[in-house]
Amino acid sequence: MASSYPPPFEGTGEVKEGFICPLCHKDLQSFYQLQDHYEEEHSGDDRHVRGQLKSLVQKAKKAKDKLLKRDGDDRADTGSYESFYYGGVDPYMWEPQELGATRNHQDYFKKHRAARIDHYVIEVNKLLIRLEKLTSFDRTNSDVAKIRAIEKSVVPWVSDSDVPFCPDCGNKFNIRNRRHHCRLCGSIMCRKCMDFVPLPLAYKLTSGTRESLCIPGSPGQSQAPPSGAGASGMGSRRGSLSSLSSVTSMLEEKDDEKIRCCHHCMDTLLKRQQKLEERDHMPDIVKLYERLRMCMDKVDEKAPEYIKVAESLNAGETTYNLDSAGGLRLEVQKYYELIDALSKRILTLGMKDDPAPTPKSLHLQKMIRYTATLFVQEKLLGLMSLPTKDKYEALKEKRKQEQEKKLQQERLAAQESMRKRQESEKNRSVATTNGEVPPAPKPPRMTKAGGWLPSADSKKTHSELKDPLLQQIDNIQSFLRQAREAQRTDEVAMLEENLRQLQDEYDQQQTSLAIALSQKLAQEENLQQGEIQRLEARERSEWEQRAPAADSRQPSSIWECSLDLGEPVAGYVEEDKIGEVTPKFERSPLSLRAFPALAGQEESPPRLRSLGGHVTPPSSEGPNSSSLNPFEEDSTPTEEDPSNPFFEDIQEEHKEVSNGKKEYNPFDDEEDNGGQEEPAATSLGNPFEEESSETSNPFTEASGDSPGVSTNPFEGDEDAGALADIDMIEEELLLQQIDNIRAYIFDAKINGRLDEVELLSANLRELQHTLQEQKKTH
Amino acid sequence: MNVTLAVKQYVTRMIEDSGPGMKVLLMDKDTTSIVSMVYTQSEILQKEVYLLERIDSQNRDNMKHLKAICYLRPTKENVESLIQELRRPKYSVYFIYFSNVISKSEIKALAEADEQEVVAEIQEFYGDFIAVNPHLFSLNLQGVARGRSWDPTMLARSTQGLTSVLLALKKCPVIRYQLSSDMAKRLAESVKLIITKEYELFDFRKTEVPPLLLILDRSDDAITPLLNQWTYQAMVHELLGLNNNRIDLSRVPGISKDLREVVLSADNDDFYANNLYLNFGEIGTNIKNLMEDFQKKKPKGQQRLESISDMKAFVDSYPQFKKMSGAVSKHVTVVGELSRLVAERQLMEVSEVEQELACQNDHSSAQQKVRRLLRLPGVCELDAVRLVMLYALRYERHSNSALPAMMEELAKRGVSEKYRKMVHSVVEYGGKRVRGSDLVTATDAVAITKQFLKGLKGVENVYTQHQPLLQDTLDQLVKGKLRDAQFPYLGASSLRDRPQDVLVFVVGGATYEEALCVYNLNRSVPGVRIVLGGTTVHIHTTVLTTVHTTVHSTVHSTKRY
Repeated sequence: MASSYPPPFEGTGEVKEGFICPLCHKDLQSFYQLQDHYEEEHSGDDRHVRGQLKSLVQKAKKAKDKLLKRDGDDRADTGSYESFYYGGVDPYMWEPQELGATRNHQDYFKKHRAARIDHYVIEVNKLLIRLEKLTSFDRTNSDVAKIRAIEKSVVPWVSDSDVPFCPDCGNKFNIRNRRHHCRLCGSIMCRKCMDFVPLPLAYKLTSGTRESLCIPGSPGQSQAPPSGAGASGMGSRRGSLSSLSSVTSMLEEKDDEKIRCCHHCMDTLLKRQQKLEERDHMPDIVKLYERLRMCMDKVDEKAPEYIKVAESLNAGETTYNLDSAGGLRLEVQKYYELIDALSKRILTLGMKDDPAPTPKSLHLQKMIRYTATLFVQEKLLGLMSLPTKDKYEALKEKRKQEQEKKLQQERLAAQESMRKRQESEKNRSVATTNGEVPPAPKPPRMTKAGGWLPSADSKKTHSELKDPLLQQIDNIQSFLRQAREAQRTDEVAMLEENLRQLQDEYDQQQTSLAIALSQKLAQEENLQQGEIQRLEARERSEWEQRAPAADSRQPSSIWECSLDLGEPVAGYVEEDKIGEVTPKFERSPLSLRAFPALAGQEESPPRLRSLGGHVTPPSSEGPNSSSLNPFEEDSTPTEEDPSNPFFEDIQEEHKEVSNGKKEYNPFDDEEDNGGQEEPAATSLGNPFEEESSETSNPFTEASGDSPGVSTNPFEGDEDAGALADIDMIEEELLLQQIDNIRAYIFDAKINGRLDEVELLSANLRELQHTLQEQKKTH
Repeated sequence: MNVTLAVKQYVTRMIEDSGPGMKVLLMDKDTTSIVSMVYTQSEILQKEVYLLERIDSQNRDNMKHLKAICYLRPTKENVESLIQELRRPKYSVYFIYFSNVISKSEIKALAEADEQEVVAEIQEFYGDFIAVNPHLFSLNLQGVARGRSWDPTMLARSTQGLTSVLLALKKCPVIRYQLSSDMAKRLAESVKLIITKEYELFDFRKTEVPPLLLILDRSDDAITPLLNQWTYQAMVHELLGLNNNRIDLSRVPGISKDLREVVLSADNDDFYANNLYLNFGEIGTNIKNLMEDFQKKKPKGQQRLESISDMKAFVDSYPQFKKMSGAVSKHVTVVGELSRLVAERQLMEVSEVEQELACQNDHSSAQQKVRRLLRLPGVCELDAVRLVMLYALRYERHSNSALPAMMEELAKRGVSEKYRKMVHSVVEYGGKRVRGSDLVTATDAVAITKQFLKGLKGVENVYTQHQPLLQDTLDQLVKGKLRDAQFPYLGASSLRDRPQDVLVFVVGGATYEEALCVYNLNRSVPGVRIVLGGTTVHIHTTVLTTVHTTVHSTVHSTKRY
């Protein structure tokens, strides 16, 4: 109960619920006991209503304080430091602070940038227009004078006499160091400071303004640069600029294929070109990375959900269904596989390309891979295993027995107190001579309880509930059910929280009522009803609600009646579960999709198998293997290393499992029909049967569940040496894997499965070999 | 008031502001240290920051699929580099954060360089200091003084650092300074000036009791930084050297490959965090416990893995086990190396004499012990000089001073001239003449009785008897008894109540012993939060540098004028 409803004040101590005496905090199993206890123990205390209220108010305040200080307290709990010491506070424990001061210069920056950008855009456009004009005529066939004339018409040339020195390098112009004009802005520079725009580049740049057809990105890039030495590498590399100018200076005034211009104009044009290129270009790494992040987000979303479910199941609770948990686990594990595969692809990205990626991008890829590995390692760690079916049954049984025991105790105590109450009531009624009060509350309670049972879930009760709080609680419960069915875990959690708060409040209200009205027996029945209803409302304390109902029966029939009760309860749970499970499996029938043919063959005798399986828990290899396996099959088929005998083994198992899996659906259907007749225990048992044997074979369990295994990281290493350069991370993982396999060998030895030992040791040798090879390459 | 958290929150905010996607963090030399003190690599990787680059590094490639987060000090060079970067952007979009106040003209220059509109954010995040612990920060400045006054650039940097601490913690303080120190006063005024100038920034919610900034000078207590410290943190710094939370262990004999360099950060290392302030003996015990704990968890070969459940437990706990074994081997190595050094340098004996020099008043025994140690061959040069320095400071004006004889011994040992001169420099730096408060001999009745009582009780631990002067100062401060005559307020405002939030800044550097003392004060005095800072956090070599630059350039400056 505790794990599915995390207590509201985490870390502030145990939260008691139930019938707790407001004065001494003693837990008294039932309302009557509480009342008795109160009358016996505290009758001498201050009964004054105001006094009671005061204490209640104080308690409420305390609770509020707790709630408000929760964050701080949580911190204190998580830290391993001693938080309070002689009254001072460890600096590590200082309360959280807000972000320090900041100042934003965005507006000022934008204002100035906007002015600059306008200017820049105008400049660029001017250059482009001029460039277009310069390239719009047939240069090769026109004579020099004509070209010159056109060029001069595009932009007025600065007169030679105005510029005695090169404005860029400061050298004096003379006969040997001649003046050159930039055709784009008309300015003058010396030969050294001069650049050329090759015609292809000019065409490409002006293509946008010319509205010509075919230039989005790629054709422009692939366009071969002109044969002229000067233009080689003009494409996008900046570094070539200096060499370019030195080479071109050797080619005398040949302006046929290029347009003379100054550094500044060239610079602007190159930037423009780069921008054009980058506009639509999305590198592979980005695509892969986006997918990787998506998977990580999914894991972040699903893993807590799974952990919650697994915790609950491991505690033997029946809130969740083992099957759906298995499905969830499968899903999460699929994402891990994907993350691994994607990050590996990122790591090897561009390795085989001719111009090897720059060291920085290699570093980037390595870091992404490393992060993904960390992520998988860290998250897989928290992914606890599910109980096997047998174990789950045992857990459930244990829990049931515990509850049974508690119930019996309660019942006894209730009867005891009942007896006392009756006596005291009789006494009192005699004393007060209040004839209207029904002396024995037994009959009404019986009818109440009896009348209540069938309509436990129906909406009729709503009208009967006078208390708005109760109505609210009821509403929330129905929401909760719906949310659970819709698998909205976050909402479920929220609703559960709400529900608990409401119930707390209701409890408190009830207690205060109880105190205030404890002498007025006439009101008692309302209260009883309220209490019963409240109890009834709690799904999981269904046993408790029957306590008052059952206590009228003979003590000797306690066991019998509890069995009686067991049936409808289980049936109810079952219904809920099936509703939850079936859509789940329909949605993700991975195993089915993976092996449609095989699955088809197996389809006919599912019932037989399931029945047989139920009677004798299977110990054979096939259905044993864990639920994780089918996945490896379909998510990463290419990753697998067929040369690895161990893997083949697993694969075979997978096949069998995925066939076995097939049984779920028909079987569930079967249960749906038959569930009502069959004893509850069996009906619950069946769906889990497959899973149950899962861990009975520790070998496969380990291979499936241990986090280190996430086997795939190593396959990459094995199947290639293609990733020969892979770093330390891989090596570490390899070492880990070796350790794991050693553990499995040991395990297999203990179990006397010699064939497996052989397989594993072969595997181990191979791994060690790989490791050595890798070490050599380093 | 948690300085580590303050910087961490800044960095976190930066990273979060840039949204999802691959990121590169562009920093300068200073901000690299600042960030690395609060974020570990794996932490920052989880936030999608895959590359850490220096803004001035030339070989950065074009990576338009990355977002750039720039965290820079607003220096001229950085702004210039950034302008170049923006002219030819290598990344798709830039989120720019300066660690301090930047001028409007520089922003304008940047705006004009951003022709490609790649800048998405430009802000000031005031993390301009190195957060060592939640209550300890440093500016990593050496040689801040020229003679007895500030080096102007250092004054500017210290002012920036100190104001950024105030801004990061959102404190607009009342300022007190040590009257005897001109440098403390200058810094106080300089900080006040900034607060006045940037009044908009310092407009924080008023608290009942305003926070207090107390500026002290190292020369008032030259003894503390000369003593050996025995806390884990101090020893690691002093004996091994901690650089950006990393220890270089490569000179340890027989060290294994993966332990050449280890990371020690209180944030991710529980053992380190829990033992930061414990002394060497206690650490020894804790290491032993850690080992035992580890051995309990460690399966011994295959014998322990007898049952299936053992197996499963082993496989399940394997990564944890591995992590733990990493931590164990790290700390065992570090502590092992520490104790090796302690034995090699006979630090136990040295420390005992040091403490006696610092805390007791028995001249003849002290000088005998010092001279005995000077004759021991194992004691290293630095330690020998430190002993003589302590003696010189302690018995500066003793009628029967053995200093000349000691100096002779030093010469005989072959201690270099430079070091021997330093003895006189230290006295000049922190001798009686410059001290504002009396360091060694108690003057008032209360202190005398205290000392007397201490003598009666005997000492618990001979290696940690010494209490830094700061302890006294802060004791008085939190009791509201610190004398205005010695530590005047700057400006008209003064504090009537006891202070609650206190920021102590030591011009010339704080020490780890003082950090420990502030830590203990924080834990023992309710309602008070004290943060300690300094131009640096000293180890023995750095304090000698400080002494050297201060005293040495005094000579120069007196010559010049």
